[in-house]
Amino acid sequence: MTDDALVAEDIDVRFGGLQALTSAAVTARSGEITGLIGPNGAGKTTLFNVITGHQVPNAGDVRLAGRSIRGYGVHRRAQLGLSRTFQKLEAFNSLSARDNVLVAAEMTSHTRKPGQLTDSILARVGLTDVAEITVGTLPTGTARLVELARALATKPRVLLLDEASSGLTEEETASVGDLLKQLVVEDDLAVLLVEHDMGFVMNTCSHIHVLDFGQIIAVGTPEEIQNDKAVRGAYLGVES
Amino acid sequence: MKRFQIRTSLLVALGAALASLTILVWRYGADTEVSSEKIVVATVVGLTIGALYSLSATGLVVVYTTTGTFNFAHGGIGVFSAFVYWEIVENRTGPELPQWLGLLLVVLVVAPALGVAIDVILMRRLRDAPLVVQLMVTVGLMVFLLTLTGQIWQADKIRGVSFFWEGQGFSIGEQKVAWHRFANLVIAAIIAVFLRILLFRTRMGVAMRAVVDNRDLTALNGARPGALSAFAWALGSSLAALAGILVAPEVEFNPTNLNSLMLIVAISAAAFGQIRSLPLTVVGGLLIGLLESYNREWIDLGADFPFAGRAVAPIVLFLVVLALPQARLSVGRVSNNLRPIERTTHVWEGAVGAVFIIFMGWAIARGALHFLVWDPGEWSSVSLNKGISAMVLALIALSLVPLTGWAGQVNFAPLAFAGFGAFLFLRLGLWFGVPDTGGTGNLVWLPVIGLLCAPLGALLAVFAARLSGLYLALLSLAFALITSNVLFPHPQVFPRVHTFPSPYLDVGLFRIDFDSRFSFFMLLMTMFALGMFCLVVLRRSRYGRRWVAMQDSQAAAATVGVNVIWTKIVVYATSSAMAGMAGVLWATSKSTVDFRDFDLLNGLTIVLLMAAAGMSFPVAGLFLSFQFVFEGLAERLEQTGNVGFLVWLLKDFLAKFGPGMLAIGMVVNQRGAIFEMGKGFAPLLPWRDDARAELAAERATKREAEIGGLGLTEPFTSEAVVGLDSALGIVDDVTPGAGYRHGVARPMESTHD
Repeated sequence: MTDDALVAEDIDVRFGGLQALTSAAVTARSGEITGLIGPNGAGKTTLFNVITGHQVPNAGDVRLAGRSIRGYGVHRRAQLGLSRTFQKLEAFNSLSARDNVLVAAEMTSHTRKPGQLTDSILARVGLTDVAEITVGTLPTGTARLVELARALATKPRVLLLDEASSGLTEEETASVGDLLKQLVVEDDLAVLLVEHDMGFVMNTCSHIHVLDFGQIIAVGTPEEIQNDKAVRGAYLGVES
Repeated sequence: MKRFQIRTSLLVALGAALASLTILVWRYGADTEVSSEKIVVATVVGLTIGALYSLSATGLVVVYTTTGTFNFAHGGIGVFSAFVYWEIVENRTGPELPQWLGLLLVVLVVAPALGVAIDVILMRRLRDAPLVVQLMVTVGLMVFLLTLTGQIWQADKIRGVSFFWEGQGFSIGEQKVAWHRFANLVIAAIIAVFLRILLFRTRMGVAMRAVVDNRDLTALNGARPGALSAFAWALGSSLAALAGILVAPEVEFNPTNLNSLMLIVAISAAAFGQIRSLPLTVVGGLLIGLLESYNREWIDLGADFPFAGRAVAPIVLFLVVLALPQARLSVGRVSNNLRPIERTTHVWEGAVGAVFIIFMGWAIARGALHFLVWDPGEWSSVSLNKGISAMVLALIALSLVPLTGWAGQVNFAPLAFAGFGAFLFLRLGLWFGVPDTGGTGNLVWLPVIGLLCAPLGALLAVFAARLSGLYLALLSLAFALITSNVLFPHPQVFPRVHTFPSPYLDVGLFRIDFDSRFSFFMLLMTMFALGMFCLVVLRRSRYGRRWVAMQDSQAAAATVGVNVIWTKIVVYATSSAMAGMAGVLWATSKSTVDFRDFDLLNGLTIVLLMAAAGMSFPVAGLFLSFQFVFEGLAERLEQTGNVGFLVWLLKDFLAKFGPGMLAIGMVVNQRGAIFEMGKGFAPLLPWRDDARAELAAERATKREAEIGGLGLTEPFTSEAVVGLDSALGIVDDVTPGAGYRHGVARPMESTHD
């Protein structure tokens, strides 16, 4: 399967005595949006951290376009085309929105004109009006969009979004959804998103992975997931 | 997690023990210096001093674990208390008191009162402040207390504190042990046990430890956070005082010396216990005591390293900080920084500012502005020398702007880099210049020395790369102490007899001399303006952006592809190069350079003033002239025969206490003076529409907060109405809360006659 842009396999993470992830696996394909859902504390963010290199797993392998990136640092993975946003906002608060994106654009090795790339991304995400405003003073929703724009400026092949819609209004959420759908098609991008807004997930994702207690309990299309007994059990606490 | 950390400390302890053992064995083989008798003596001395170190360090740990503040003023409190004790007991001011009563008075009354005052007046307001502000305030307090002690008990006579039970002791076999040494051990042991029981076995102790984790939650559970933190500070101060008084007879009794013993050793021992574990802290204190004692006895590095003994604790600190468990790039931890919401200065603004600074330097020194102010005209050579000193410090301070102001790397060691630069200049002069003088004088060497200094910064960066916050500050502290106690005092580094030639610039066909004081002052002014301009350009470049981004969120910077470690190396190297070049100018500004010029306190003063001014602004460097401005003004007043009080105020009060007080002032003004000044000033500039808009917006929000434009900032509740009524005496027999319960304001009926 050559179009698997991102494959994470058999990921084990232990925090002391706590088994956070048990042979978790996730796959994201180019040109598609893949969802990763699960109850609170299921290990979604930990899995993200393993993929981006913020967390060293006890076991398992992550492959980017077929190439193993085990042992690579965060910034090297980023340079190879892996980008992300954070669950808790991690924008560069004392820089302007434009500078936030520009920092990322300047790190993108194949960009001749980081300024142009920045401006086009800002326009695309709809941030042109607030470009010169310090991000620390922007509302959370807008700052999330800045994070998204910043992630896009690295020209990623795989984009990981950790709760992209939290803090956004319904309209903003819808427009982010549309934007993502556009992006995956136009740039042949693979998007993996963690999300609590089920409507958003069901509408945008073509495949969904469900994580519970550190294990993947289901993989499938939105319809399959909605009808999956184990998933219902995990979410509603029903014995499956 | 906890077990792992303890293992790290034990590992360091084991390493240190092995090292001392190796040295002992090696020395044992070498000659007969080592005898069992000597080992016993050195061990006893080491342990008993170490017990005092432990005592002091536990005070630091208690305050940190219960209030979350790392108290750099700990030593200062100890020093001040020890001098109060001296005043009472040795100098016999007031009624004659026996030693023990004086000790109790200071330890149980004076020191706790000081601690509570510090907590109530300062530290409570800093609870949610960023770490840098907390650090700067306690460092400022330390400088303040040391200055205060130095001013009250001037260094005009030699003071001494006598031991308890002077001259009495008992014997273990052949060996005599003085009672006071034995008492140290007993007191330290009792205190350690007492603290252990207090913190872990009593309700109060549990509450104290809980407060630091979640203050509000603890308060909800019925604890009183204010009282608890006051108690913690009182306890910490008592321990500092006790340790200070007991250490005093053992050492040269002056504020700086006592402070370095009390503070540096306490910090090292506390770091050994990861500023958390009391037992490990006690072990750390004893270990440092032993190492110092063995070092004195056997590892004599000779006359070349006269102060190496003082570096024992810093070396332990350095190693402990390095051995700490690797801090991961933490995701989701809010970096609680208070960087001003600042607008990036435009290049043209930087250029105009630079030209303006050069012009002002010229105008003030030449007395060209004397028609504007009462300043009587052209500067004397004394004033010029003051101006030169100020500008040299300003140049060193510029090096902190990219490193600490932008990249957020706290650095207490700017003078280590400056000293290295001065040293290199001297060496290059000896190799390539006139043999008997220091430096070639040719400023063409400046960039070369900058380049040579960069690796030193890079080296520190390699060590510092995975650290942040407090541990980073401690690492740079250790670095500053190691350089200033081991490296710089070596007689070959800054030879006693050497003179720096006056600087000149030899390029191509031109040779520009800066041999007059005025031309040298103007050279420094120009250098500063140039440096400031370069920083403005740098801040607007991709590097400046990247550094600020890294300070805001390291995790996010890495996810966009920034190599955090490499970026840190670059910024440290840049800062080090800048400080090194400034160090050269410092050396050339004086005829001789002394290793004492580069000591920790001088460096801290620079850092403090920069922090108080606003570390992220290059122009803040001008704040370093602060002390000299006051001194200069005082001299002018003296010449014109003006009032003594003003002179005292300027010279002995403001100039001396200023740095400490300004840093303490960060309690209220956390963003620094430049930011506050700029906020008021920027709207006046014709091109700053943004500042005017911001000001208008701020006023609008303030107006909005006032309810209904009535100038009220809180809603008018029924309770408030009742309170108002009763205050005005217009209440009839309505009891509060009964008639007005539903907030219906009754028509006021005046009951006045």
